[in-house]
Formats: sequence, C-alpha cells, structure tokens
Amino acid sequence: MIYIIDHKDSFTHNVVHQFSKFDKNIECEHFSKVNYKKINKADVIVFSPGPGSPKDYPTSSKIYKNYKCKKKIIGICLGFQQILYNEKAKIVKQNKIYHGFQSSVRVTSKKSIFYKNKMFKVGRYHSLKLKEPFSAKNFEITMRCKISNVVMAVENKIDHIYGFQFHPESFLTENGNLLIKKILSA
Amino acid sequence: MKKNYYLEKLYNSKKPFIVYKVDSGYDIFTDFSKKIYINNKNIKSFFKKFKKVKKKNNFLDLYIGFFGYEILCNLQNVKIPKQKSLNFPKGIFYKPETKIEIRNKIIIKSKYKNYSKLFGKNFFYPNKILSPFKINIDINKYRKVFNQFSKKIKEGQTYQIKICTKYKNKSLIDPVALFWKLMKTNAAPESFMIRDKNFSVVSCSPETLIEKKGNKIITKPIAGTLRKTKKTNIKKANYYFKNNIKETKEHNMIVDMERSDLSRICKPGTVKLSKIKYVEEYKHLYHYVTQIEGSVKKNINVKDIITAMMPGGSVIGCPKISTLNLLNLQEKESRNIFTGSFGFIKFNGDMRFNIIIRSVLHYKNTSEISVASGVVVDSTARNEFNENYIKAKSLIDLYK
Repeated sequence: MIYIIDHKDSFTHNVVHQFSKFDKNIECEHFSKVNYKKINKADVIVFSPGPGSPKDYPTSSKIYKNYKCKKKIIGICLGFQQILYNEKAKIVKQNKIYHGFQSSVRVTSKKSIFYKNKMFKVGRYHSLKLKEPFSAKNFEITMRCKISNVVMAVENKIDHIYGFQFHPESFLTENGNLLIKKILSA
Repeated sequence: MKKNYYLEKLYNSKKPFIVYKVDSGYDIFTDFSKKIYINNKNIKSFFKKFKKVKKKNNFLDLYIGFFGYEILCNLQNVKIPKQKSLNFPKGIFYKPETKIEIRNKIIIKSKYKNYSKLFGKNFFYPNKILSPFKINIDINKYRKVFNQFSKKIKEGQTYQIKICTKYKNKSLIDPVALFWKLMKTNAAPESFMIRDKNFSVVSCSPETLIEKKGNKIITKPIAGTLRKTKKTNIKKANYYFKNNIKETKEHNMIVDMERSDLSRICKPGTVKLSKIKYVEEYKHLYHYVTQIEGSVKKNINVKDIITAMMPGGSVIGCPKISTLNLLNLQEKESRNIFTGSFGFIKFNGDMRFNIIIRSVLHYKNTSEISVASGVVVDSTARNEFNENYIKAKSLIDLYK
C-alpha cells in the first residue's frame, strides 16, 4: 500500500493518479488528519507537494523521522524539501522563481538508479531550493537543472529515500510515469 | 432576433426566466415551479435530489441556477471574514416547467397546456444610468495589494493569485435588451442571462467549468488574455502565447491544477489533455485555452463533483485552498456571484456549469461588473490592472 500525505496542494491528486497506475491500494490523507494505523500498513510513504516551507509542517517531519529506514519514502517538491530539512539541510528562497516552468534536468551521478548524463524535460513549481553545500549520510545528489545547476533530485539507496524538486506528475514532465515506476521497483 | 409572439410577451412581462447559450442557439427556461435559495444548511439536501434515476430523463428534469463564490468557499471549509456586502443570495436554483429552444426555428415545450397565457401584466423596463461606472480600487491601492501578494509568492505561500476589482454604477436596466445587444457582438460559449423579480444577471462568460454526460466529464480552463488590435489575428495571438514565458507558465499551472481536480473524481489513468493550448477569439480579446477530460468513477455523486471542481481554479489561483484564504483576507468586498458557477444539474446527474466571469449583476439599482487577473512572479501591477479593464470593457460599453 502507498500512503500519500497531502500538504493541501492543488497537485496532490495528480500524484495520487500517477501512483495508482502502479498500485491499486492508495491512501491519501490531509497532513493534519494522518492515520497511523494506515501508515503502519503502508510499504511506501509519499510526501506531496504543497505551499509554504518544510518548517510549516511539523507533523510531516515527525512522520519522516519515525519511518525513516523502516519504509520507502518519496518526496515531491515540498516533500523533497521536507526530507532534506530533516537531514539538517537549509531550504532557502531563490532569486529566480519557477512556477509552471519547464526546464531540462540532467542525471549527474553514477550512483543514481537512472543513467548518468541522461537529460529530460520536467515541470517545476518552486519558490524555495536546497542550499548547498549539502551532505548527509547515504544521500546522493543525482539530478540538477541543466542551466542553473540547482539540485533537482536526491537518492538514498540504502534507506530507500527518494526526492524530486520537480513534479513527476506534471504534464510538463517527460517520462514522469517511468521515473515513478523505477523508484517504486528499486 | 426573430419576432416571436410568445417571446415578445415573455420579455414584456414580469415573469422570471433564464437564457443559456448552446452550440447552435439559445435555450430559455421559464415557468419556475420551485425556487431554492441555497445556503450552508440546505446545500447537502439539495445535492441529494440528484440520485441516479433509472426512468427516461425528461428534458425538464433539471435544476438551473447558480452557486455564488461564498457558498463554494464554504463547501471547501474556507470561511470568509466580514466583508462589505449587498446581501445578495448565496445561490439560487430554479425548476423550470417550460423550455423554449431558439435555433433556426423556435420550439416551445411545456408541462403546462396553457403556457402561452401565463404572463400576467405587461411591464416596462426603463434603461437609465443614474451615475457613471466607478472602480472600487485605484491603481495605487491595487499596487499595494499586488506587492503583498508578490511577497507571498516569493515565500512559496501561493504560486498564482487573482485580484478582483469591481466597476459599479447606479442604473435601471432592461436585462433582456442588454443581453441581446451583448450577444450581437460577443456570443461567448457560456453566455447566460437571469431575469428575476428583484435582480438580473447578464453574462458573456467564455469559460466552461464542467460538462458532464454519463461518466464523461470535460473542463476547459482559460489562462492567458491578449488584447485585440488592428494588427493582431488568431495566428499572431497563438504565436504570442506560445512565446510568452509568463503566459505559458500561468497556463501550465492552471492545467496541472485542473488535472488534479479532475483526478479526485475520475478513474485512474483516464484524465487526459484532449486539446492542448489553443486560442479562442472574442470581440475585444483572445484567450488561451486547454481542454481536459476524464471518466468519472462509479461511486462519485453530484456533491463530490461540485466540491472537487468549484470554485474554478483559473479564477482563484494556485494552490486553491491556501490561495482562497489569502484572497479572502485581502478582499474587502463580497465577490457575490463573481467566480461562482452558473449552470444546470439534471436529475440523472449530468450537468453543465460555467465560471461566472464577464458578468453584470444588477441588484438594488446597482450594476456591478467584477474582473480579476493573475499575480504571478513576473507580472507587473500596471499590466494586470489594465488587463482587468480590457476584460470589463465589452460590458461597460453596453451602457453607452
């Protein structure tokens, strides 16, 4: 079962729709109304996109800390930042803001489950970004924006944690389904 | 408009009626046997009226009317702080017993045999402007609100937000004359008119929010407006939208949001973009439109559909709920019907709804035209303020 935590976003149901192509058993609940019994049964926890910044969602941070290493965790946009924030990263405002923007992303690490140097177009909706340098145990920065070099994905293959700054569920993202499929089977 | 004895009598009576644009003409609904004022208490029981009926659907088996902006916010559990308000009803639905189809021919269908005698006394509707149109916020106030919202965007609280401005005058109007005058120049696909005893609405809305037949559902969000000049044409407009990064981003955002709204109520894998980014041409402007469709899940009812789709995202901003909250804190005057939805629900659950924009609400001798345009990260206060004016222009011109 996949448990999706909704950060009151208007894209969450695109995420639900996309994941339900790979698992019929999906639960999606508002971050303030999470059901721990259901989370305990889930194989995968997904942190949805949403407005604001990670510090606005303490319950989601708590869930991350509780279930890290126990379940596969996937974060999208705000969810991506949520993961990093709990790994002691700084999430900061960026000068150029990307809302509804399509840009090219490159796989930059050999350790990624995706092929190094592969490039594809993705949809972005974010005001904030990961501040570098960043390092955390077992975490690898695996994708970057081709032009600005901003971090677009992190992977932690040992603890099964994956995060995307862009939106795999957006119609602006090429091969979004393939990305999710690969991560779910990784 | 062709002369028709029945219609002449109808127009010159005090009888309430509704006109709704269809592909090949207009439908008029009248002889209302029920009128339901929608409020927070009765909205759930109103939705329960529409259960799957097995018997064959009669063409009059429907309720037609509107949901105002406030009741749609309340459906999302979003409360509106105290605002300046006309106390206009939050929503009204009517059960018609007579339908007039205006196509090449005029066909009248009624439950009543004596429908052609049900007019009452003649009434004369004066057209009179008592004071000129005034805007409720000037460019300086607008700029202030605009800058506050720009800050919220940089903080990631919202990605896009629509500021509403209003033009108001004191006037007496003949809504029928006004509506047909508007239709001569601007017969937008979701146009409608409501004439009731104490209010009227005249609208040339271009935007379809819900078109549902059986389990197929369609929405056609508009995001992107270009003013028409002597030099523009539809091809150039298309080129402009495709190459304008700001308009493209604004549009993309709305498309992803509407996909998400549809995904709540549709079977997994069925939500698709059936027409991507095309241009529609109107009297004073061009619009950038995308058509999205899906197949509704089996256990979904009328309430689920309305709650998932309304208020329509393209006139609010994104993400919907946090943006609604930001908007309501800032707007000092009730939106009334503006950015609500007008349309009908059939007893079998089929429905059609628009988004109420490009509309005149006439109530208590005041004509009110509301417009909104979007603040995104690279828009400027002056441009958006002007875009609002372009949108209001064809309606303000009606009063000349």
